[in-house]
Amino acid sequence: MSTRISKMMSVRRPTLVSRKVLIDSLVRLNPLRLVANPVMLLVEITFFIVVAMAIYPEGFPRLANVSLQFFYVEVALILLITVWFSTLSDALAESQAKNTANSLRRLEMEVSSKKILIEAGSRRIVPTPSRELRKGDLILLEKNDTIPIDAQVLEGIAMVDESLLTGESTAVRKAPGDDVIGGSQVLSDTLTAKVTVNPDETFINQMIRMVESSKRPKTPNEQAVTIVLIGLTAIFTILIGALLGMSLVLSLAADLSVLIALYVCLLPTTIGALLPSIGLSGISRLYKEKIVAKSGRAVETAGDTDVILLDKTGTITVGNRQAVEFLPFPGFTEKDVGEAAFLSSWHDDTPEGRSMIRLAYENGFVPKEMNSLDASEVYEFSASTRTSGVKLAGGTGFMLPKSGGTGRERGRLRRKFEPHVEGGVPIGSDETEIIKGAPDAIKRIVKSVPANYDTIVQKISAAGDTAMALSRNREAIGIVRLRDVLKPDIKEKIMAVKVMGIRPVMITGDQPLTAKSIAAEVGIDEFQPEAKPEDKYDIVKREQAETRIVAMIGDGTNDAPALAMADVGLAMNSGTQAAKEAANMVDLESNPAKIIEVVMLGKQLLMTRGAVTTFSIANDVAKYFAIMPVLFASTVPELKALNVLGLGLNTAVLSALIFNAIIIPLLIPLAMRGVTFKPSGTMTLFLKNTMIYGIGGVIIPFVGIKLIDVAISLL
Amino acid sequence: MGWKEYFLTALIVNIFQMAIAFVIFSFQGVLPLNPQGFPGLSWDLAFMQAISFGTNTNLQHYNGEGICKQLPNCTSLTPGFPGLSYLSQMMAVQFLQFTSATTGICVAVAMIRGFITHSKDLGNFYVDFTRSLTRILLPLCFLASMVFVGLGVPQTLTGYQSITHTVEGATQTILVGPVASLVGIMQLGTNGGGYFGANSAYPFQNPSPASDIFQIFLMLLIPTSLCFVFGQLIGKKRETRPILWSAYALFALDLLIAFTPNFPVVGPGIEVRFGGFFSVFWTVVTTAVTTGSLNASLSGLNPLVILTAFNGMLIQATPGGKGVGVMYMVMFIVLTVFIVGLMSGRTPEYLGLKITVRDVKLVMIAFLVHPVIVLIPTVLAYSTGAASAIGVGTNSVGFTKIFYEFTSAAANNGSDFLGATANTPFFNISTAIVMFLGRFTPIGLLLALGGSMINRKRLTTEAGVRTDSPLFALILVGSILVLVLLTFFPFLALGPILGFFQGRVNGF
Repeated sequence: MSTRISKMMSVRRPTLVSRKVLIDSLVRLNPLRLVANPVMLLVEITFFIVVAMAIYPEGFPRLANVSLQFFYVEVALILLITVWFSTLSDALAESQAKNTANSLRRLEMEVSSKKILIEAGSRRIVPTPSRELRKGDLILLEKNDTIPIDAQVLEGIAMVDESLLTGESTAVRKAPGDDVIGGSQVLSDTLTAKVTVNPDETFINQMIRMVESSKRPKTPNEQAVTIVLIGLTAIFTILIGALLGMSLVLSLAADLSVLIALYVCLLPTTIGALLPSIGLSGISRLYKEKIVAKSGRAVETAGDTDVILLDKTGTITVGNRQAVEFLPFPGFTEKDVGEAAFLSSWHDDTPEGRSMIRLAYENGFVPKEMNSLDASEVYEFSASTRTSGVKLAGGTGFMLPKSGGTGRERGRLRRKFEPHVEGGVPIGSDETEIIKGAPDAIKRIVKSVPANYDTIVQKISAAGDTAMALSRNREAIGIVRLRDVLKPDIKEKIMAVKVMGIRPVMITGDQPLTAKSIAAEVGIDEFQPEAKPEDKYDIVKREQAETRIVAMIGDGTNDAPALAMADVGLAMNSGTQAAKEAANMVDLESNPAKIIEVVMLGKQLLMTRGAVTTFSIANDVAKYFAIMPVLFASTVPELKALNVLGLGLNTAVLSALIFNAIIIPLLIPLAMRGVTFKPSGTMTLFLKNTMIYGIGGVIIPFVGIKLIDVAISLL
Repeated sequence: MGWKEYFLTALIVNIFQMAIAFVIFSFQGVLPLNPQGFPGLSWDLAFMQAISFGTNTNLQHYNGEGICKQLPNCTSLTPGFPGLSYLSQMMAVQFLQFTSATTGICVAVAMIRGFITHSKDLGNFYVDFTRSLTRILLPLCFLASMVFVGLGVPQTLTGYQSITHTVEGATQTILVGPVASLVGIMQLGTNGGGYFGANSAYPFQNPSPASDIFQIFLMLLIPTSLCFVFGQLIGKKRETRPILWSAYALFALDLLIAFTPNFPVVGPGIEVRFGGFFSVFWTVVTTAVTTGSLNASLSGLNPLVILTAFNGMLIQATPGGKGVGVMYMVMFIVLTVFIVGLMSGRTPEYLGLKITVRDVKLVMIAFLVHPVIVLIPTVLAYSTGAASAIGVGTNSVGFTKIFYEFTSAAANNGSDFLGATANTPFFNISTAIVMFLGRFTPIGLLLALGGSMINRKRLTTEAGVRTDSPLFALILVGSILVLVLLTFFPFLALGPILGFFQGRVNGF
């Protein structure tokens, strides 16, 4: 099941230029479709002018030369190719986005649902495709049904598998009032639920709509870059217009096609061509991470993050503790502790419990009482006592399970352990009672507390670990050391965040000593121990009051106010509806560590836009030196001294134009993939990128144009 | 006052002041203090000169010392060149030189106020104006004038003196008037309009090397001080650095280019009173701060020196004119922080203020003003035949003259090649429009920029691009050069650059 899903989720690598993309890019050459991209529209207009010059040069007295008709054809061709490269980039970005959307849409499987109709007091079940369900409809969910749509449970209790959406394989218990998510599966029992969304309003659908919307609203940053683009276009239009006027009134005999070549070379064609695809591919990249953003703006804000709130569990640690050591009290051996841990955890399905059994087993501490475990009485964990345990019948005593042997049946033997109830559960002479729990809870039930009890517990806490105490027949026998397991790569990620000047703050419910130790281990200086969900809200408020941009993750309803207030809020899809609605992004895979990737992506988007803009402007310097010497060659030959590259007079214009065109497809991968960068401080990134795209942007065209010129003259 | 109110107040006050000057210029013939009996200026010249002085440009299409027929021993001057009476020199020229310089300081400070934390508005124009005038310019100019009088610059209302016993025994007219008081404000206020047509190349306006150096000092004084005022007002003195460093780096670059030619920088037959070094140095300074005064004829300078003059006028922030220099530098910083700063991976910010779409729009339009008002009139001057009407050729020399005229007008600089020969309706009206737009459009836009910074959320974090680092100043210089050169390179190529390659010294 899960592999099938992951296959569906993974975006098929688009073949670089498919036939469909090619056709689409040609269709986009239609001038009416270019209106949205004024720079390219201008280039296309100049193309038509040069075509006219090639066909009928006599129509351009003093501006065109009949003997240059072939040259005009060449210029026109390159101009058209320039526009085509731009439309190709658009078509590519859009097809990539569509592919992503389609692969995500397949997630929304068309399933048949059981709609409940209430007619004249009787209920009737009507099979209905999930697409036809509407908000408020009642549906019946039976064992093995796939839940067709997000809904709220009205009646019944059932186990639901949400692994499809959360990646967590444990079944979740759903009771009236809980939300169930479309796409998850009912494992047992029957539910009646009320549909909470219309089919189009599900998150996946919202996301797909946004990807596919061609009128995606521009982010403020995109708008500002567009203004620079328009401003530069206006400046160069005035300049070339004035130059044309000067050429005519001073009889400088500039050829119109060369003037047009200069114009097109100066126009910010590179930004104009790539700007739309940078934004679109940013969204695509986000969706490849399986994150739904409600707007592109939130992603870019993420790039500005100053403070990032990280939940310890799930983000920094894998989410559960692992037993790593058995520490016996005086009079007991490690084996005693290990066996007790084994027995007490046999019925404990939590990751902690399983890890204790594993550790005991690995050390060879397999208790002989194991045989009687099935006949044991289980004390379920209770939040009030913070203990759980087991009572074993003595010797070879054997109790038949009522029926079957699964955990569910075993559960019937379970009962609440109430140690403080007078005359609670008497311990028979041949019975063994093992209780495990928080050290202070065990301390309260044992007959006598060993002298070094507190010291050991404190030492464990100080090391950042958690202590779990074990008692056998109301006698403290030892402590199990449970350790938080760090997520792989988390240290590097935190390091990267810190290097970029972002302050990570760890939020955890652990006590201060434990929190401090884990924070120190991953390199976090700031943490909030014993945190309640409301604390997140306070931290967000406090940091924002100091004008910092705060990013955080959350999943519970308690997190919703903080998520809504944070500048960047990433909700887990496994979380509650309230959290998802408050956040401006939702992670479908519910992996809280992704907040770091979101921040990086935001930065990358801004960087890419800046890099292409700077590069494009810096490129113009070289083009002047290529074209100016030729422009007035016949009347002011002295300007040939500007020909520092030693280009051929006949090939210089074509070389500059070809470079101008070819740089677009060369930069398409950069626009789609984004500027690659090593995490480092703002100033370092700024200087590094300025070196590459600013100074490089001045130098590269000199080299490129010269190379193209040499190549042309060889032909 | 909000930015709109501040701007409109400044504009209306300035227009009113210019109107007073227009009346004085037009009716100086019948007004007192006119011992030479100069007639009133023609309406188009009076209009142009009122705007010229009112916009801190001081482009002069007249020779202040006057026309030939009033002079007893006239041989050289062409009759018909208008002169100015003492009243016009004092009540119109000097008056506007004071008010325009004061306005420059006011609007710059007002714009800076927008960037200051906790400022509620841009200030009160009347208060700013009165204080700048009475506490800075008047006292400084009084002192400067005293120094000039001490150095031998005339300050009198007695009228021109005839001396009959020269060395050759001939009669000579000594052109005197209230010169010293005018020279003080014209240099200190980066105005540049001289008492005499030959400006500070004329001995009575600039008698000695000492007065020459003192005038260079006066030109640089306030524009440089305003860079420090910026940091002081913002409350972060380190923020003076990008403005000051970039301005002086560009200035140094201009000096380097100007002194590069290994053939004589000053051509034959030209005023060489202060020699090549001081003539070239002065020319670079006067355009770097857009004063526009001269101590040698531009026609005699090497085209590369002229190129650096263009550089100063096209950038206008090296360190630029009174007040507006700082404003232009802020414009360039905002543009650079936005375009280049994006590559830091954060929303660009300057002084803790995030650059918004509106800011980019404002600076882009402010940047666009210059090419429009320089390039279009240059083409018009030729296409309407106005250039050939005053005998300007179509070669690189002629083109440089026309291009310089409008660049100087747009930059509110005021030096020019044409001088009184450009006293034609076309040049008077076209330069008047260019000067007016070149002055008040960017001021309005940049005041709007300052105004929009008020009440904006300020980031106290210092996580953005550090604008006070030397490397940023270097990048700023690079981006200014690229932006300005990209905009004007073809025209510069047809003018001074072509002149340089043709091996010509302009005019010869």
